[in-house]
Amino acid sequence: MTHPPLYRKSPYRGLKIVLLAVILIYGVAAGYRKYFRFNPETLVTESVLKNKNFEVPVEEIVSPKYKIKAYWFYDNTTPIVSMSFLFKNAGYATDGAEEQGIAQLAAALLTEGAGGLDGQAFKEALAERAIGIAFSAGKDDFQGSLLTTRDNLSRAAELLALALGQPRFDTGDVSRLKQHFYEALKRQKEQPASVLALELNQKLYGAHPYARNPLGKAETIAAISRADLRRFVRDNLSRQNLIAGIAGDISREEAESLLDEVFGVLNDNGRINFVRDAEVDFSARRFEIKYPSGQIMSVKAARGVRRDDADFYPLFVANQILGGSGLTSRLSKEIREEKGLTYGVYSYLGLDDKSPLLMAGFASSPDKYREAERLFEEQWQKMGTAGVSAAELEQAKKYLTASYNLRFASIMTIADILTAMQKYNLGLDFLQKRNAYVQNVTLEEVNRAAKKYFDRSRLVSAAIGGFEN
Amino acid sequence: MLASVSPAQAKLFNGETFYLDNGLQVIVIPNHKAPIVKHMLWYKSGSVDERPGRGGSAHLLEHLMFRGTRKIPGTRFNDLMEENGAESNAFTGQDMTAYHQLLDISRLELAMFLEADRMRGLEVSDKDFGLERKIVFEERLQRIDNNPAAYFGEALRRSLWQEHPYARPVSGTAEEILQLTRQDIEDFYKTYYAPNNAVLVLAGDIDVPTARRLAEKYYGGLKKQKLPAPKEFPKLENSFNAKLRMSRPNIKSVRAGKNFAAPSYNVRPEEVYALSVLSAYMGEGETSKLHKKLVLRDKKALTAETAYDPAARSYGNFSIGAVPAPGVSPEDLLDSLDKAWAEALAELSVDEVEKTKQRMLAGLVYLRDNPEDAAYIAGAMTVAGVSWEEIENQENAIKQVTYKDVLKAARVLQNSPQVTGILEPEKGENR
Repeated sequence: MTHPPLYRKSPYRGLKIVLLAVILIYGVAAGYRKYFRFNPETLVTESVLKNKNFEVPVEEIVSPKYKIKAYWFYDNTTPIVSMSFLFKNAGYATDGAEEQGIAQLAAALLTEGAGGLDGQAFKEALAERAIGIAFSAGKDDFQGSLLTTRDNLSRAAELLALALGQPRFDTGDVSRLKQHFYEALKRQKEQPASVLALELNQKLYGAHPYARNPLGKAETIAAISRADLRRFVRDNLSRQNLIAGIAGDISREEAESLLDEVFGVLNDNGRINFVRDAEVDFSARRFEIKYPSGQIMSVKAARGVRRDDADFYPLFVANQILGGSGLTSRLSKEIREEKGLTYGVYSYLGLDDKSPLLMAGFASSPDKYREAERLFEEQWQKMGTAGVSAAELEQAKKYLTASYNLRFASIMTIADILTAMQKYNLGLDFLQKRNAYVQNVTLEEVNRAAKKYFDRSRLVSAAIGGFEN
Repeated sequence: MLASVSPAQAKLFNGETFYLDNGLQVIVIPNHKAPIVKHMLWYKSGSVDERPGRGGSAHLLEHLMFRGTRKIPGTRFNDLMEENGAESNAFTGQDMTAYHQLLDISRLELAMFLEADRMRGLEVSDKDFGLERKIVFEERLQRIDNNPAAYFGEALRRSLWQEHPYARPVSGTAEEILQLTRQDIEDFYKTYYAPNNAVLVLAGDIDVPTARRLAEKYYGGLKKQKLPAPKEFPKLENSFNAKLRMSRPNIKSVRAGKNFAAPSYNVRPEEVYALSVLSAYMGEGETSKLHKKLVLRDKKALTAETAYDPAARSYGNFSIGAVPAPGVSPEDLLDSLDKAWAEALAELSVDEVEKTKQRMLAGLVYLRDNPEDAAYIAGAMTVAGVSWEEIENQENAIKQVTYKDVLKAARVLQNSPQVTGILEPEKGENR
């Protein structure tokens, strides 16, 4: 007797086994990918903390009395308030030739006493309530900031109005602060980085005020009088050239009256020295300064673009790829990561009003410097000649858009951003649109800009250190 | 004056802490201003834990942590951080090493995965090891040899700390860096990079339950390991009083000052808050006593200030720094400094102490603004051994300091090991 077969061989048996195996392998592989293998995209898309559409709602406010316009952003996470403000075209480049240093000296002296409060009384008043008031003079603009807790807002406004409206410039304080400037001038010479920066400015700008030492000169500082300082404040700090941004735990009404209280003490308008655009010869040149230091530091300058130029975003993205971000930029990969020739190499867009630049730099020990220099120039030229790839562009856009929110970490920074938005006429909705501006840049635009701006024959180089040959 | 009713003690950060089973301490500081988070992983080991002669191991390891693991080879870590918009970096100190990223919250899990992965999976090629050693050598030249004042700072540290490991530069000396081997780095990594020797800080747009879940998910699987016994630090002679006078090419202006091996959260911790008040009273800001006396009244100095850092595993550091006014010799300045200090101590009163404390308390709220600041402060204090409760209760601790406490702290400081330093231009340099 023959037993019936325990099972009948299906004609498709082989196929079924193969199919089953495929399904099994696929399932295991999918599970493996999901649970074991590293998949960075999944970690982000399946993150329990989702990407939020964070829109910083910025509004324009107008003060009731003096009709001062400003940008305002409300946030009460912490009970603090910050105001950032600047006086356009009142920076040190506008200092008269015979009073170089006056903008920075005035900035230092505005917190040295005002009205009935001498320097010590003024500083006590700030310190006992932890109110921060600071002034500084940049190349183009004269800047100020206020930081206070919500509780102390009215006292803070009072003190800031006093500082702007009734600075004392007491003789003792003026001569003491001048000593600080003389000291700072000496210290500039101790650091190869600052010696190099001063030298490069001179070579680039010649007779233009951008060539100046930001601190002025000992002779011109010595000659600045109290009357000069008073005139500086009267002429340069007025409501006409004022831009302000207010952020933090402060209502619209409070912000509007803060503007009146603080800036109401200023004149409607002033008189500012005109600074012409700088005419710079960017044809390839190289300066070397002998100086005893461990490394050779190198800085580079080429023509850049203004913030409102159509080439701004394309060049901004191209620079990001060349030397704009940490260790993944082309320059970093080539000179640091692959060769170990430097601790850091970078490039950036300089946005000074009268001379936009593309800047770059690195430092290397003397035996590695020539090689680093050669690779740097090679990369610079390659950017101009060959441009970037679609993949590089994608990567750069990802970084620039995903990192955008990081700048909203502190209230003071937010206030500064509000001021910058107005200075560069970016518009009230800039923070909502900015990532789209970056996304919309095309490969053609980037490569056209790269070709126009990255050119070895249009790159000025300066270096300082103990050269080997 | 009648005592006023003070509001309930405010906590410094309003955060929370907990431990995973593997010993990892987690600190969470919610801050919902923007949808971002600071992710920091601190190891409680730094340059003081290096084997003798192997200076720079901790720092070179910190660099190599960006050079790949078994799972994430080469420099892919950096590429991933880049395309996800993170600001990623790390730093090494005497007592600790920290890795950190500021990110959009949707990228936090990615960063946690990568950070947990490189705690155990580091795998670096010979080529990358050689390259990174060159890079840290260049870093040392850039930070120290390009900066004559930094060079003086290192010399001052050697004079004060003598045989204590704080005498050594965190970077290692140039000679040490060039001799570091893969074995040195591997030893340090295997010994100290473990969950039970680390602190995870999350500050930003995250709540505590979510933070707990994610910490468990990404760091929970890492195995605890046996750690070396806590490091014993040498005790310094209290009577130690050194002087260092140095001139350097490139130096154009004079600096003078004193550095003390001071109490810390681990050495005479009972003096810490009183010394903080003393430092604020003496030399923090332009309303402090040294500024009033040395700068404004005596016109001996252009600046005079103090700083105090008690967050250390061994001694803390208290420093006094001054720049002489034109025509004042550094010796004259230091004499005047001693006199001004003694005078200020004699003037110390209950009122002055209360006023100083008020100033210190008024600014504490700003520390809650930026999650990056909060994460840094919380991490640095925690790895120095400060409990979370104590970190949160800074306000109360400062409030409790009395006039007598400050006087006693000043005496303790005067009797601490110290070095007096002068840095000046070389002879013939125009001052």
